[in-house]
Amino acid sequence: MLSSFDPRINRLELPDAPSIPTDKVALDQFPTYEVFHQRKENAAYAYVGPVHAPEADVAFLFAKEQFSRRFPCTGMWVAPTSAIQVTPYGNDQESVYNLLPLLPVESATADATGQQAYDIFHLKKRGKAHAHVGQVSASSPEAALQAAKAAFGDQRPVVNVWVIRSADLLRSDDEDRDMWTTTPDKKYREAISYKVQDRIDRFKQEG
Amino acid sequence: MYGSASTHDIPAKATTGLENEDPILLAEFEARIARGEKIEPTDWMPQLYRKQLTRMIEQHAHSEIIGSLPEGTWITRAPGFRRKMAQMAKVQDEVGHAQLLYSAAETLGKTREQMLSDLVNGKSKYSNVFNYPTPTWADSNVISWLIDAGAIVNQLANAKGSYGPYCRALDRICAEEAFHLKYGHDAVVHMATGTPIQRKMMQEALNRWWPAIMTFFGPSDKMSTHTEILMRWKVKMATNDACRQQFLDMYVPKIWEIGLTLPDANLRKNEDGVWEFSEPDWEDFKRVINGDGPCNAERIAVRRAAEENGAWVRRAMQQPQARYVRPLA
Repeated sequence: MLSSFDPRINRLELPDAPSIPTDKVALDQFPTYEVFHQRKENAAYAYVGPVHAPEADVAFLFAKEQFSRRFPCTGMWVAPTSAIQVTPYGNDQESVYNLLPLLPVESATADATGQQAYDIFHLKKRGKAHAHVGQVSASSPEAALQAAKAAFGDQRPVVNVWVIRSADLLRSDDEDRDMWTTTPDKKYREAISYKVQDRIDRFKQEG
Repeated sequence: MYGSASTHDIPAKATTGLENEDPILLAEFEARIARGEKIEPTDWMPQLYRKQLTRMIEQHAHSEIIGSLPEGTWITRAPGFRRKMAQMAKVQDEVGHAQLLYSAAETLGKTREQMLSDLVNGKSKYSNVFNYPTPTWADSNVISWLIDAGAIVNQLANAKGSYGPYCRALDRICAEEAFHLKYGHDAVVHMATGTPIQRKMMQEALNRWWPAIMTFFGPSDKMSTHTEILMRWKVKMATNDACRQQFLDMYVPKIWEIGLTLPDANLRKNEDGVWEFSEPDWEDFKRVINGDGPCNAERIAVRRAAEENGAWVRRAMQQPQARYVRPLA
């Protein structure tokens, strides 16, 4: 049996010479969701990272734990990675909207029943995070991109655009905003609560 | 907690493969980096860039997972409730960092399943310092302060690198590491300025860990064609020696000011401001990194057990219609 300094590990009773495990099979993990957070009231929601989860509700819980427990946060959205439409990437300082192929403009009289809301996110600079710029109404993701170009195309620069059907975003509710209030009992995980200089100075004086 | 572009593990006679790359695409790629723009996942990139970054980010992720083990073992035995909570928060951070880093590595094309398999099968490496044990609480404090300090030196350099997803992950990671550093320093100062027994315990832990700390950044880089290219591509941002010097400059004075000593009679800063020290035992380093260290078997065994014990949950939640989707950014 494997013996360790760590009593918890000894309790696992692990074999001394284990057999080589076989490789994990493909998809031996939960799908990913992309997370957007709001750093303060009225700020744009911005991309913060992915989480793995079996479904959107759980993704939201994981996202809250992973991305909001340390820094200020006033709201959070999650969307399945597979639900996000991504444009090609342009150069810094340019607008990727100029690279998009122009689709036939939808007739203004198009059947309104086929229209859905889409959320549009812009990446302003390579290496930074996508931020929410607004919503458009369209009949498909491609049409939504055209609508986004009309609505937000004058913004500069836009390196990359993400289009997400609004229904695919699970959003925190305004009524639940107190869930973002950080408990004052957890100061021990802030760098600012560790002040050792007094102790060092006292030690130097005594020494 | 760790991120070193370990060019020293590239076989010396490996070719760069650049002669097989499209010269026009390569020129555009290099021009983008020279302009200070980041590379994003869907951009064209040379094979060497993809391969080296995958290896580097993957090793960094493994180091976060494995690095949480020697500290995790002290959560239940940490002296006092507040320290238990803080130690737990730190370990939780490290595992969270691994999640971010695996995703960043995945954007380069290697799946997370393959990376986790390579870890438990011993095919990929993690920071060698975690192959040493933490027999006392003071050893855990040395990791919290000085190993994290070394990692921050590394990570701040890498955060200025050229790959967008890695930069995004590192920005977040560096912000959280600030707490680890302060927490570790506080714990070491508390012991070093405490009772004679506490002080002795801390000094002994530091003596045990110092040789490993001196190897943390890896051996001096041989300035090969590889190193030169990887620095031009902003994959490797500083030489191992430069990182080591910066670390010594920042932390040796802080160690000395609390009355602790370091077990190297040759350690001193010369008139030119360069730190001199006894050359670490690189033969021993090689032996341990290749599997023959005091804790290699235990670290991998614990990781395997976690993998096996969690398998039923993943099986139960698996969706037959699921399709692999690579993270976006």
